[in-house]
Amino acid sequence: MTTTTDAQIGQKSQGILKLERRRRITMGILFLAAAVFIWLVFATDVEPGVETRFMMNPGGGSAEAADWVFPSLLYLNMIAGILSLLGAFQIIRGFGKYTYGVLALVAILFIFGFLTWATAGGQTNLAGLLRVMVVRAVPLTLGAMSGILCERGGIINIAIEGMMLTSAFISTVFASLFNSLIVGLLAGIIAGGLMGLIHGWLSIKYKVNQIISGTVINIFATGITSYLSSRYIQKVEFQYLNEPGMFPQINVPVLSKIPFIGPILFSHNMYVFAMFFFVILLTFMLFKTRWGLRLRSVGEHPKAADTLGINVHRTQYMAVILGGMMAGFGGTYFSLGSSGRFDEVMTAGRGFIGLAAMIFGNWHPVGSMGAGLLFGFFDSLSAKASLLQVPIPSEFIGMAPYLATIIVLAGVIGRGHAPAAEGEPYEKE
Amino acid sequence: MSKKVSVLVAILVLASMVLAACQPAAPAAEPAAPKIKACQVTDTGGIDDKSFNATAWLGMQRAEQDFGVEVLYLESQQQSDYEVNLNTFVEAGCDLIVPVGFLLADATSAAADTNPDQKFAIVDVDYLGQPNILGNATKIDQGTFLAGYLAAGMTKTGIVGTYVGILFPATQAFMDGYAMGVAKYNEVHGTAVEVLGWNMETQQGLEVGNFESLDDGRALGEQLLDEGADIIMPVAGPVGLGTLAVLQERGTGLLIGVDNDWSVANPDKADYILASALKKIDVFVYESIEAVVNGTFAGGSPYMLTLENGGTALSYGSKWADQVPAELKAEIEGLIPGIISGEIATMPTR
Repeated sequence: MTTTTDAQIGQKSQGILKLERRRRITMGILFLAAAVFIWLVFATDVEPGVETRFMMNPGGGSAEAADWVFPSLLYLNMIAGILSLLGAFQIIRGFGKYTYGVLALVAILFIFGFLTWATAGGQTNLAGLLRVMVVRAVPLTLGAMSGILCERGGIINIAIEGMMLTSAFISTVFASLFNSLIVGLLAGIIAGGLMGLIHGWLSIKYKVNQIISGTVINIFATGITSYLSSRYIQKVEFQYLNEPGMFPQINVPVLSKIPFIGPILFSHNMYVFAMFFFVILLTFMLFKTRWGLRLRSVGEHPKAADTLGINVHRTQYMAVILGGMMAGFGGTYFSLGSSGRFDEVMTAGRGFIGLAAMIFGNWHPVGSMGAGLLFGFFDSLSAKASLLQVPIPSEFIGMAPYLATIIVLAGVIGRGHAPAAEGEPYEKE
Repeated sequence: MSKKVSVLVAILVLASMVLAACQPAAPAAEPAAPKIKACQVTDTGGIDDKSFNATAWLGMQRAEQDFGVEVLYLESQQQSDYEVNLNTFVEAGCDLIVPVGFLLADATSAAADTNPDQKFAIVDVDYLGQPNILGNATKIDQGTFLAGYLAAGMTKTGIVGTYVGILFPATQAFMDGYAMGVAKYNEVHGTAVEVLGWNMETQQGLEVGNFESLDDGRALGEQLLDEGADIIMPVAGPVGLGTLAVLQERGTGLLIGVDNDWSVANPDKADYILASALKKIDVFVYESIEAVVNGTFAGGSPYMLTLENGGTALSYGSKWADQVPAELKAEIEGLIPGIISGEIATMPTR
């Protein structure tokens, strides 16, 4: 008996080995394909002697760095060379547990090759590209963290968009009325919290399907803000209600003076710094404190949590209200951080993309910020590609991160793990 | 309990729909003398887009004052609303329906076919041939040509920028005129001012993909400034307001508005508004309502707004009118007769 089981186990592990081997080789071929692509498409298109010029200062920056000029063809060949070496090593030996790290490196090198080719004989602002990436990640990451707070507690929140829109509106009106950005910010956060409370009330107390409840909040938010906006704050006589002003840019002392890095990371309005702060805070709170453990246990197995004396419903209410407040804070970015006014449906679907960033980031704050930065990067890159008149439609570049999301969600690279009890109302027996 | 809640949810849904859809719909018409009703359907930009929806509404309001007609509007929040809103107005017995924008062309064409007695006056669409549709087109390239010439004359970096919300024939003309104006300036002055964000040969350029996200406008504004542009003409409705915000934040660069006078619409940021290329949709809307009132409404061939009939023009920003050098102003003034006679081309030959 035991011998057959051993044989079975042996067979099974051999199967796994085979699968691993096939994965290793597929990955290696992917690396080589990237190298070949650079050689055949990019390098053959560039004349020898042509130079690529990357500007290293974004406009309005606080530090000075010299332009980075290099011969395009040489660099393209170098990149292709490195990629093919990596590919060959991957096929023969494999990078083992570092494979995904190397994959990321390959992707970065490939994009760098793309930029080198697109800019050959011209110039582009590399620092500006990265700076816009960071700014664009802000609403996505804040939205994603709102989703994490709710979903870690087992409540699906697709109302992030509506919460953000409402808070953008409320913060505009309050900041204009009281002539104070702080009042506007607080009002926006409170409005978000109240929206969270409504969502919680519907989905916890009355056990309404959480998707329906979220959809209702989204539709309601679009309707009420558009109505109040077009009826009041866009009218000339109420113009004073739509002039909230904007949070000023902060140049972090010393750090913002670092060439290249400074203007990208340390010369922003407070929302960028708040994003970093909240990512660190939430990661610590979720994974290093008793509070976080309790919240997660409610999202994973509410019955077990209840048996151990955790008040499931109270924890869930707290989660949705905090999540709403986070979305509220994110919503104020649109009005007080980005454009200094409110316009109808100005969030334009960012809340939903934030939700995608949450899933891409595997319900983890750091991962979500990574996804937000990735989405932001491709947003920024597609604009640059348009300006450089790359013969690829910029829509395709814009699509790239969402394609990646689909691939990740389809489980090719690694399946995401949603909290187990998400979306199911908990009923105490 | 759960029944109560579903009722509550239903009420919420209904309330939000009612709020979103039927904004100024006045209480049901009193049995008094039937007024002529003119009804506007906006595209997703909304009535307050500080762009063509708002300008069209201006024409509606002027007609309300001058002819005593009743004016209504419905806002479209998404594409699927176009057909619904048009049909709502057909059923409401509107005498003239004014759909605003290229995006409503297909829905309008279909509605006009099913309701051959219903009159339509569609903004920015000139190719629908139905006898009950009055189309309209603006030679906006004539206006933006002047704006491009002005931008080329005012730039300090030698680079000017532009971007578009969604690219279609009516929006292409904005950038074509702009780029032609810059090219004309280069030809006259022997300069090499560059246009970022629009390529006349390929008819491709920097595109936002929507007409709503001010945050996108902010990002594109930063990108253009980073690449050295110091004068930007956004052709994207309210999205351009995001660019205006970033100009104010950085305290550099200038903006050229389109459709209406941006320095009037945004008095607090007038320091950063060099000029606006006007597109007087209100003239078209007003005159088509007048035609309905007088019983002279005729569809089929489109109504043209040009430099000649005042349907398009270049208007200097309130803070910049005095700062633009007089010679440059005179040069621009001198271009106008040539444009009207067709001597100066404002569109690239294709």
